[in-house]
Amino acid sequence: MRVFLIGAGQVGSTVVDALHAEHELTVLDTEPSRLSALAYRYDVATYEGDGTSRRDLARAGIGQADLVIAATSRDEVNLVAGMFARREAPQAKTIIRTSEPEYVELWREGQLDVDFVVCPELETAHAISRTIGVPAARQTDVFAGGQVQIVEFDVEAGASPDVVGVPLRDAKIPHDSKVAAIIHGDETVLPGGDDVIRPGSRIVVIGSPQAAQAWSALLAPGGATVEDVVIFGAGRVGTAIARVLLEQGIGVRMVEASTERARRAAEVFPQARVFAATGLDPDFLERERIGQAQAAIFAMRDDTKNLYAASLVKVHGVPFTIAVAHEPVSVAAFDQAGIDVAINPRAVTAEEIVRFAHDPRTQQVSMLEGNRYEVLDVTTRETSRYVGTAFRDMPVHGALIGAIVRNGTAIFPHGDDVLQAGDRVIIFTEAANAPWVIEAL
Amino acid sequence: MTAGAAARAAPRIGPRRRIAIDVAAAFNLVGSLARYLGLAALLPAAVALWYGEPLWPFLAAGAITSGTGLVLERVTARTRGNVGVREGFLVVSVTWLVAAAFGSLPYLFAGGDQLGHPLDAYFESMSGFTTTGASVVTDFDQLSRSLAMWRQFTQWLGGMGIIVLALAVLPRLRVGGRQLMESELPGPEIAQLSERIRQTARRLWGLYVGLTAAEALALAALGWTGVDERMTPYEAVAHAFTTMPTGGFSTQATSIQAFSAAAQWVIVLFMLLAGANFALLYRGLVKRRPGVFARDEEFRVYLAFAAVACAALVAQVWAYDLAEGEAALRAGVFQVVSIMTTTGYANADFALWPVLPILTLFALMFVGGSAGSTGGAIKVVRHVLLGKILRRELDQTVSPEVVLPIRLNGRPVDERTLRAVAAFVLLYVGIWAGGAAVIAVDSAFGDLGLRAIEALAISATALGNVGPGFGITGPMGSFAPLGDVAKLTMIVLMWVGRLEIVPVVVLLTRHYWRT
Repeated sequence: MRVFLIGAGQVGSTVVDALHAEHELTVLDTEPSRLSALAYRYDVATYEGDGTSRRDLARAGIGQADLVIAATSRDEVNLVAGMFARREAPQAKTIIRTSEPEYVELWREGQLDVDFVVCPELETAHAISRTIGVPAARQTDVFAGGQVQIVEFDVEAGASPDVVGVPLRDAKIPHDSKVAAIIHGDETVLPGGDDVIRPGSRIVVIGSPQAAQAWSALLAPGGATVEDVVIFGAGRVGTAIARVLLEQGIGVRMVEASTERARRAAEVFPQARVFAATGLDPDFLERERIGQAQAAIFAMRDDTKNLYAASLVKVHGVPFTIAVAHEPVSVAAFDQAGIDVAINPRAVTAEEIVRFAHDPRTQQVSMLEGNRYEVLDVTTRETSRYVGTAFRDMPVHGALIGAIVRNGTAIFPHGDDVLQAGDRVIIFTEAANAPWVIEAL
Repeated sequence: MTAGAAARAAPRIGPRRRIAIDVAAAFNLVGSLARYLGLAALLPAAVALWYGEPLWPFLAAGAITSGTGLVLERVTARTRGNVGVREGFLVVSVTWLVAAAFGSLPYLFAGGDQLGHPLDAYFESMSGFTTTGASVVTDFDQLSRSLAMWRQFTQWLGGMGIIVLALAVLPRLRVGGRQLMESELPGPEIAQLSERIRQTARRLWGLYVGLTAAEALALAALGWTGVDERMTPYEAVAHAFTTMPTGGFSTQATSIQAFSAAAQWVIVLFMLLAGANFALLYRGLVKRRPGVFARDEEFRVYLAFAAVACAALVAQVWAYDLAEGEAALRAGVFQVVSIMTTTGYANADFALWPVLPILTLFALMFVGGSAGSTGGAIKVVRHVLLGKILRRELDQTVSPEVVLPIRLNGRPVDERTLRAVAAFVLLYVGIWAGGAAVIAVDSAFGDLGLRAIEALAISATALGNVGPGFGITGPMGSFAPLGDVAKLTMIVLMWVGRLEIVPVVVLLTRHYWRT
């Protein structure tokens, strides 16, 4: 596949590193030094030019591309480049990077004519919500921009009798969720109505973020809900994190040094308590009992500030710290300093782009149980034999449809709902069946 | 220096100009408003014609007003059209003084003993235009029908505002009209009903006329069907004219007590409507979106407040054996709605009630209607915002860094507006206390023997544009026995209260006038 990449910065070079071995890559950037650094390390074609210049794009050969990735740090450049790519290479898939979650919304609603939009701020927020969102979970994966979660839980002795010890058909399963698998020891079943969840087993649940929270509360009653997370920094990243966490019903406090930004955050999030403070003042931390928070997230612009604030907050007693590392090297440094999770937004973005680049239609998003099961995110073709079929009539081949994404909105289908062409289907399946499932859709 | 250079004078530093206000332009606008205001005398003239009463007091009053307006306009004609934001305060303040002067002319000409004195005439007229409803009339039978209708009509004109009416009807006021309108319409901000201020003014006045007509019809229907023998078409129109502006003047010495229970309930309903935000009423009733009522925070608080106060007063009326059954319910509900919306009607002589219900009514004088209603006093929205400001203050005492935007209907409220609300409430309380002090001193000199609560209530009832006080100034009493200084104080309080203090008080600051 011919891949045309605009932007050779951190995201661009990570994408090159992942894709250069299998694909033919062309990289366009305005900065010659970045291009030569790439050209020395990888076997890729490089062009100096402007992503917003149609002539530069044409000269660099965008017309032959099968996939165009606009991954500069500037939204305007990426949007314009994406627009020209549509004209110059109508056959190519396009991916653009944006720092504005609003563009992601627009794309989901079908208002942006590109195939994929990736937003570092949003990806970071989702990554963080995966690590703290469902406290009772062993493992969490999110799909469809956070609207669908796949969560693996350990079922403990104190779990609610509403769902444990009764056949699934009688269990009070939270709304908008399905049990995808029950695992007893080595044995895994895709459950039917007669199967029973028992203490000591593990289960995999597909559902909305709210349903995941509900399951968490059912399976680990008392304590295991996240109600107090402190976010330092109310810039773009901090705001995106706050939005995602609040949407999941997690209580959020925010600390922001700039009065103006703090005011804006307070206006946007009435549910969050926002402080205009640097967060580095011990008196403030003490007075507001920041140490009592269940977790603290550091999303300030400056890595050194994030590191220092995280250490300070640990001293005050916060058990779990997550810090945003803007420089790749900071990830290791944060790790060394005892920060529990370090996330580099650009790395997360590059991963997302590479995931799409591998196969634009099928996203093999997750492997469970030592690769025995897979979660697939497949877009239904018009020619699929199951278009127009009600979900109750779908064949059961060791596969379960957890959710579909239609016009950007996740639906947790019931038996009467009908599959339509263009639906993104999120399926939990045995790995052996995966090729068959992809082919059938 | 050549002749050519002298012809085009070099720019030089100009002379000092001290006055920052274009007084001539402001008075020019006042003049043209007065010119049109004189036409208002045609309505009582028509009533006089119908009942065969003398026409001349009204025609003379109208001619004098229009003539004075015309002269004022001519004298200041050279600066026509320069009324900016700054002049607006002066225009609004002076217009209301002029309107009251105009309104007092028929009383001077035809008021006889009880209204013929200039101060009494001006008091009655100011009380009319500001929709207060405090009266110096002692013998209602002596008033001619046309003069009584004129009292009612001044309240109706003042309710939605003279300037708002002018904006709706006159073409000239379009420039700078918004600020003029904000000075006159009650409440911290006005909700725009249209992109154009003129259109907004027209819709508000249209709704006002419509509701008044609806009430007049509803009341007249009671008369026609024989439910209420005393509710003649004349009385129906007269009381519709003073319900919708939350005025409170009545043609009867016993106010609304003179009418049947059914009429009283109809009036309760229309008083409640008059105390609601007219922009909201327009959206809900005219545009037929009833959902807006449930969503509006101020409206919910307004109704909740009225409900709680009604329950409290009904319980008191019952407990003190002042009335029983439906009469007790009616007395409690009517009096709460009347005082809270600052209408000032009475269906019982509450001046004779024990101290607890009197204190309840006294407290209600400070509530007022909603922003954008015709009611006076502090207004519900300011109480809501002030409560939120206080709660935030307490929260920030514990956590100084916390950022808490104050929301109304889910939208953040600008900090400047919040400061203005706090300043307004402080000014309101200060002016009320000052007014009460002057009235008390005057009463001491005049041997009137007002009690503390009576003096405080007179000040509150004037500033809040409510109407009746307690004791001798109660709903069945009169303000006539008060001394001249007390009457003058009330005139100022009514004027300041109707314009919501700030446009008047700002005229007293040095920087308003000087550069």
